[in-house]
Amino acid sequence: MSSAPRSHQTLGDTDTLAFAKVLADAGFGIDVGAVSVHVRSDSKLFARQLQSVYAHFPLMDRAQWADVHLTINRASGFRRLIRPQVILQCDGRQPFEPFPANAPLPLFEWGCNWMIGQRLNDLLLLHAGAVERDGLALLLPAMPGSGKSTLTAALSLRGWRLLSDEFGAFNPDSGTFRALLKPVALKNQSIEVIRTFAPNAVFGPEFPNTRKGTVAHLAAEPDAVERRHESARPGAVVLPKWQAGSPTRWEPLTENVLFGALAFNAFNYSVLGATGFRSVVRLVRQCPGWQLVYSDLDDALATIDAAWPQVRERQLAAGQ
Amino acid sequence: MELRELHLVSPHGRLLRRWGVTQYARTEGILAEPIGDLWAVFCPTSGETSLLNNESMAVLEVLEAGPAGTAAICGALAEDSGESIEALEGLIEACWAQLIEMGLVRELRVPRTMLG
Repeated sequence: MSSAPRSHQTLGDTDTLAFAKVLADAGFGIDVGAVSVHVRSDSKLFARQLQSVYAHFPLMDRAQWADVHLTINRASGFRRLIRPQVILQCDGRQPFEPFPANAPLPLFEWGCNWMIGQRLNDLLLLHAGAVERDGLALLLPAMPGSGKSTLTAALSLRGWRLLSDEFGAFNPDSGTFRALLKPVALKNQSIEVIRTFAPNAVFGPEFPNTRKGTVAHLAAEPDAVERRHESARPGAVVLPKWQAGSPTRWEPLTENVLFGALAFNAFNYSVLGATGFRSVVRLVRQCPGWQLVYSDLDDALATIDAAWPQVRERQLAAGQ
Repeated sequence: MELRELHLVSPHGRLLRRWGVTQYARTEGILAEPIGDLWAVFCPTSGETSLLNNESMAVLEVLEAGPAGTAAICGALAEDSGESIEALEGLIEACWAQLIEMGLVRELRVPRTMLG
């Protein structure tokens, strides 16, 4: 007989049926660093999918505060039988169209990110991948299709601690970055690129035919989960651009390009007003920036690794 | 002949008062920081941030002292930069539409009735 999950257990340790019951009854809380999310769902498949990519996360105590509350339930009526669907709701609203019933995880991930982008206005949320090394954050702001997630995933599998695939979450008060540790959402050919790059990497299921094509989620490494409350000082900014067949190019960015890449790519820059402006100015002053054009992932990583001691020295000197 | 501007000039040729000239006022509370070879400027009323070149920023700096028209701004900038007023006029005139659109400056039109 399976026991009910306890707060010190991880999601991966928990019996799937027991977890599905918790998810349907009281719901499940997950603490991803700067934010905690509470989700309730009657989908047993969702319970399994969550376990596949959040295995190392501890189960939160039911009484703990959650910043974001979501429900993902199976659609009722005929939609239980014909092309069944799942529906996400938050605060009584349904911000997205229903997803196929076999794809609650992508719906959860998109819904969560959307809610975080709406709610977390004590932090400046830059649209960027973020990883950490030596206590310093490396930001990878970019437009969709630029290879940001692929590069973030690859770095997280080669000794960099993943902070987030989607958000550079900067705390204007402390001047540090916080983790919003969710699985890295990889799309289309990036999935195979990372599977080849790191055959032991843990993935959730693949979801074909989403509005972004095929999507699969890469689970965060156990160390990143363990250290998700450790913040990181600003280190450097790299604007990645994947270009088929291109040799690796590494070029310094001017401050004004860097400013634009951070400010005009942020989720809540305008909401934060003067605080957002001052934060971005501070980051531009603190962080060196480069454009990285790449097609070979190993070469791109080697280029970043080679530049990193210079970043570390600079930030060490600035911190003294 | 249409009367567009009326100037009150001292016996020494100093401009004392000007009527009928469009004046421009800088929006209050603007934050500006040099970013590389440009300026990042945050407008608190619109919440927007713009990147300005040095010429546009110089205009905002002159306007910090109070509303002014193109001629007065050109005079002040000519004094600082050593450029001729004529050379500056075209540059400054071209700045207004964008500065207004960005919410950084507003037009203050002197009513025609003041022309007497």
